[in-house]
Amino acid sequence: MDIILGYFLYGMSLLTVGGIYALLALGLNVQWGFAGLFNAGIAGFAAIGAYTYAILTTAESKFHYGGLELPLLVGDVMAMVLAGVIAGVIGLICIRLRADYLAIATIGIAEIIKLVLKNESDITNGPRGINKIPRTWEHFSEERFYSSFPLNVINSSDSWQMFFESIARWWWQPFFAGTIILIVLFTYVLLEKLRTSPWGRMMTAIRENEMAAAAAGKDVTRRRIEAFILGALIMGLAGAFLGQHLRLIEPTQTFDPSKMTFLVWVMLIAGGSGNNKGAILGAFLIWFIWSSSELVTNGMIEILASIFDSVDISILKNRAGFIRMLFIGLLLQIILQRFPKGILPEKRPAVSGKI
Amino acid sequence: MIKKLIMSVLILFGFSTVTNADVKIGNPMARTGPIPELVKPMSAAVDLAVEHVNDQGGLFSDGQKYIAVKVDSACDPVAAVDAVTKLVNIEVVTGIVGPVCSGATIAQAESVSIPAGVVTLSVSASSPAISEMESNTDLVFRTAASDAYQGIALAELAMSKGLKEIAVSYANDDYNAAIAGVFTKAFTSMGGKITGNEAHEPNKASYRSEVNTLGAGSNNLALFAYYGSSGITIMRNAMETGAFENFIGADGMLAQEVIDQLGAENLGNVTFTTSASDSSTDAFKSWKKHADAANVPASDPFVPNSYDAAFLMALAIEKAGSADRSKIAAALREVANGPGEKIFPGEWKKAKEIIASGGSIDYVGAAGPQDFDKNGDVAGLFSKNTVVDGKWKSVVIK
Amino acid sequence: MWESFGFEFINFYFIPGLVLGCIYALGAIGITLTFGILRFANFSHGEIMMTSSYLTWEFIMIFTSLGILAHPLIGAIPASICAILLALFVDRFFYKPFRNAPTIMIVIASFGMMLIIRSMVQVIWGPNQLTFVKGIAKPNAYIRDLTASFDFMLLIPNKHFSILIGTVLIMLLFNYLLSSTKIGKGMRAVSDNPDLAKVSGIDVENIIKATWIVGGFCAAAAGVFLAMDTQFIESTMGFRMLLPMFAAAILGGIGRPFGAVAGGLIIGLAEELSAYPWLGDGPVISPGYKSGVAFSIMVLMLIIKPSGLFKGKVF
Repeated sequence: MDIILGYFLYGMSLLTVGGIYALLALGLNVQWGFAGLFNAGIAGFAAIGAYTYAILTTAESKFHYGGLELPLLVGDVMAMVLAGVIAGVIGLICIRLRADYLAIATIGIAEIIKLVLKNESDITNGPRGINKIPRTWEHFSEERFYSSFPLNVINSSDSWQMFFESIARWWWQPFFAGTIILIVLFTYVLLEKLRTSPWGRMMTAIRENEMAAAAAGKDVTRRRIEAFILGALIMGLAGAFLGQHLRLIEPTQTFDPSKMTFLVWVMLIAGGSGNNKGAILGAFLIWFIWSSSELVTNGMIEILASIFDSVDISILKNRAGFIRMLFIGLLLQIILQRFPKGILPEKRPAVSGKI
Repeated sequence: MIKKLIMSVLILFGFSTVTNADVKIGNPMARTGPIPELVKPMSAAVDLAVEHVNDQGGLFSDGQKYIAVKVDSACDPVAAVDAVTKLVNIEVVTGIVGPVCSGATIAQAESVSIPAGVVTLSVSASSPAISEMESNTDLVFRTAASDAYQGIALAELAMSKGLKEIAVSYANDDYNAAIAGVFTKAFTSMGGKITGNEAHEPNKASYRSEVNTLGAGSNNLALFAYYGSSGITIMRNAMETGAFENFIGADGMLAQEVIDQLGAENLGNVTFTTSASDSSTDAFKSWKKHADAANVPASDPFVPNSYDAAFLMALAIEKAGSADRSKIAAALREVANGPGEKIFPGEWKKAKEIIASGGSIDYVGAAGPQDFDKNGDVAGLFSKNTVVDGKWKSVVIK
Repeated sequence: MWESFGFEFINFYFIPGLVLGCIYALGAIGITLTFGILRFANFSHGEIMMTSSYLTWEFIMIFTSLGILAHPLIGAIPASICAILLALFVDRFFYKPFRNAPTIMIVIASFGMMLIIRSMVQVIWGPNQLTFVKGIAKPNAYIRDLTASFDFMLLIPNKHFSILIGTVLIMLLFNYLLSSTKIGKGMRAVSDNPDLAKVSGIDVENIIKATWIVGGFCAAAAGVFLAMDTQFIESTMGFRMLLPMFAAAILGGIGRPFGAVAGGLIIGLAEELSAYPWLGDGPVISPGYKSGVAFSIMVLMLIIKPSGLFKGKVF
C-alpha cells in the first residue's frame, strides 16, 4: 500500500513540475512558435515571477523585504504582471534584433536580472534566497491562513487545526498538482483560440515572411512585442508556481540557465514548436525522462556492476550525474536530427473563407 | 516506441525497489554542482557508518540491512526537491541524511520532507536560517554547527592574532554570504575595524582589481569563499601583487588542494577555521582509528559530521524499533542527547545490545557530543588550521 | 606621478585587464568567424576552449611520466591539434546536417553540444579542479629592474608576459592568413556574401573546415592561456567565459576578427577597471556585479548599434 501511495505521490510531483515546465514551454511557444522570437532568457522571467510572488505573499522575515502577506492569488497575478511589464520594456528596445542576437541579448538580460536578485540582498536576501513561500492549498494548514479570512469564517482556528491534523499529510498534493494542470489546460485552450484567431494567423504571417506582412500593412513590431509580453506573462506565472513548489528560491542554482532555459527549449523542440499540444507533451515527456533518468542511470550502473563484478564502479557512481547530462544532450541531438519538427509537428490553422 | 521506453523505465524502477526486508535512508549530497570535491570524503564517511552498522549485526533483531540510497542534490533547490521526492515516495526511505548545502536543505525540507513527516539530518548545512525554519515540526536536525557560531569564533581568532583592521571579501553565495555577515558583526562589536567589505562574483578568471582595491585599506584579508570557485584565485591574485599579507577564512577554504596549488611556502600567514572535533576525546580517537583503517580523511571538513549523521540515524531507527518514519525524531533525540551509556563511533554492536536490553544510550560523536537543542542544532567546536610541513595542522580553539 | 597614480593603476588594474582581454579576444575570434561564415552563435565554443586546456594538462602529464618536464605551451601543441579535430568532428556530425535548416536548429544543436562536451570532460577527468601550474607567479625580476631604472616600474609575471606575446604572435599570423592566403581571402569572401562566393567558384565546405581549424586553434590558445593565468582548470571554465566572449564579438562587429580582438580587450579592461576606486576608496560598482559589466556593454551595444564598433554584419 505504501508503495502504491509512494508512486502516486511521486506521480503527483511529476505532474506538478511537468505542469510548471509545460507552462514555461507554452510561454516559449508563443514567443518562438508563434512569433519566431528566440528568447534565451526564460530563467530570468521565471525568476521575476517567483521573486514577485515570494515577496508579496511571505510572512514577515528578518532576512528579506516582505511581510506584505497578500493573498496568494494577488501574488500569482502580480508575478504575471511584473514579468509582462519587464518583457515589455525589453521588447521595446530589443525586439528588432534578429534571432541569434535576440538570444544573446536575452541571455545577457537574464543574467543581469539574476545579478540584481543576488546583490540587492536587503530586498531579496541575496544568494541565501527566500524561504517559507506559501504553497497553494497546503497553505491552508498553516496557522496564519486558517486563522484568517476566508477560513476563519467557516470554522474556528482550533477546529481547523484539529481537522488538518486528522487528515493525511499529503492531502494538498493532488489539489496542488490538479490546480497546475487546470491552469495548463486553461492556458492551452486560450492559446489555441488565439492561434486560430486573426491575431494568430497574422503572427504566422509575420514569422514566415516579415516583409510581406509589413507590406500588407501589419504593424510587425507591435505584434511581436505583444507576443513577447504574452509569453512572458505565462512564464512569470510558471515562475510563481515553481517558487511555491520549491518553497525556497535563490538566484544562482534555482534559475541556472542550463537547467531552466535550456531544458525548456529541449521540451519545446522535442514536442514540436508552433504546436501547443506538442509543447505540453514535450514538457511532460522530457521532465519525466529527466527526473527518472537518475533512477535509470543508477539502475544501469547497478546492472553493470552485477554483470562485471570485477570492475570498480565507484568512479561511475560518483559521476552518475554527468552521465545523465550526457544522455540528455545526446537525446536532444537525436531528436533534432531525426525529428526536426518534433513529435507533434505544427499544424497551420485552417484558412476559413476566401484566400 | 514510447510505450517500450516507459516499460523499460518501469523495469529499472523495479530494480531499485525490490529489497523490502532492508531499511533505507536517503542520502542526497551535492555530487555534482559547485563543491563535488568537498562532498567525496563526506560521502565515504556515510558509507563507513553504513558498513559499521551492517558488519556489526545490522538493524533490529533479525539483522536487516542498513542502506543509504545515494542521490544527487547538486547544491540546487530544484535538484534537491526532485531527488528527495523520489527518495521519500519511491524508495520509501525512513529518514534523510544530507543534503550538503543550506539552500538545498531548506528547500527539500520545506517542500518535501517536512510535509511528508520525514526527518532530515543534515551533515553540513550551516545557515543560521535553518534554526528558525521549522515551526514546531521537530523534523530538521543537523550535526554541523550553525555559522552563527563559526563567524564569532573566527572574529575572536582575528582579535587574538592582533588583527585590528581587516578587509572582508566574500563569494556571493548562500554559505559564504551568511558567514561573512556574522563575522563582520562580531568583529566590529569586538572593537575591530572593517576597512572594506565587498561581495565578489564567484567563478571569474581574475580578481586582481578586487583584491587591490580592498588591499589599499588593510593588509589583512578575511576571505569567505569556496576554494574551488573563487578562493584559490583570490589568494593567488592577492599574493602575486602583494595586496595582502595575512589571510583568515572559514571552512570553505580548507582543503589540501589549496596547499597543492599555491605551494606551502606561500601560506605562512594563512589561518582558516573549521568546525572541528576535539581530537583529544575518546570519541574522536575511536573515530580516527576506524577512519584511518577505511582510508577516510578523519579531520576533513564535515567528514566526521557525515559519519555521525549516518550513525545517529541508524541508532534512532534501532531505538524506534521499526522503520516507521513518525518515531524517528523522538528516538533521535533520545539516542543523541542521552542520558545513557556513552556510545562512540564504530560501537554499533554495543549500542545494539544496550537498546535490545531496554537500556538507554548517549551517542558521543566524532565531531562532538552531538546533543540537539530545541531547534535540532548542535553546539560546535572549531579549530584553527595553519600549514605545517605541507599539510593543514588543526588546533582546536578552546 | 608614476608612484602616486600610475604604478598601481598600470600594474594592478590595467595589465591584468589586458591579459584577461587577450584571452577574451582569442576566444571571440572563433565566435565571430563561425558567426560570420556559418551564421550561427556557437554556444559550444567555450567548451572547446575548456577541453583543450584539459588535453594540455593530460599531455603535460604524459610528458612528465616519460621524464620530460614540459612547459604548458609545449603541451598545448598536440592539444590544439586535438581541439581542431574535435571542432571538425562536431561540425561533421552535429552541425553539418543543419546547413540548410533554420538557424535555430543549429544554435540549439550547439547548445546541446555544450552539454555533451562538458559532461564528457566531467566523466573522463572528474568534476574536481586540476592543478595546472603550481605556486605563485612572482613578477619577472628582469623587467621589474629594467623598468624601475626608468622610474616606470612594471610588475609582470612571466605567465602574463607569455600570454601577451603569444596573443600578439597569433594575431600577426592570423592577419597574414586573412590578408595574404587564398583560404583567408575565401573566408572573407564567404563571410561577406556566401552566395556570391559560391558562384565565383569558392568551395564553401572547405572554407567552413578552415573556419573550424582557425577557430579551434584560437579557442585552444585561449583555453591554455586562461589555464596558465588561473593556474587551475575545471569543467565550467569555458561556459563562464562564453558570454563575455559573445559580448566581445558583438562589440567588435560580427564577422570582424580584429573587431573581436578590440572587443575582447575592451571587455577585459572594463571588467577589471570596474573595481578600480575611481571615486573615494571603494569600487564604484560592487564587485558582485562584475560579470554584469560585460553583459551590460553587450546589451547596450546590441540596442544602440547591433553592427558593432567595426561595422560587422547584422543578419
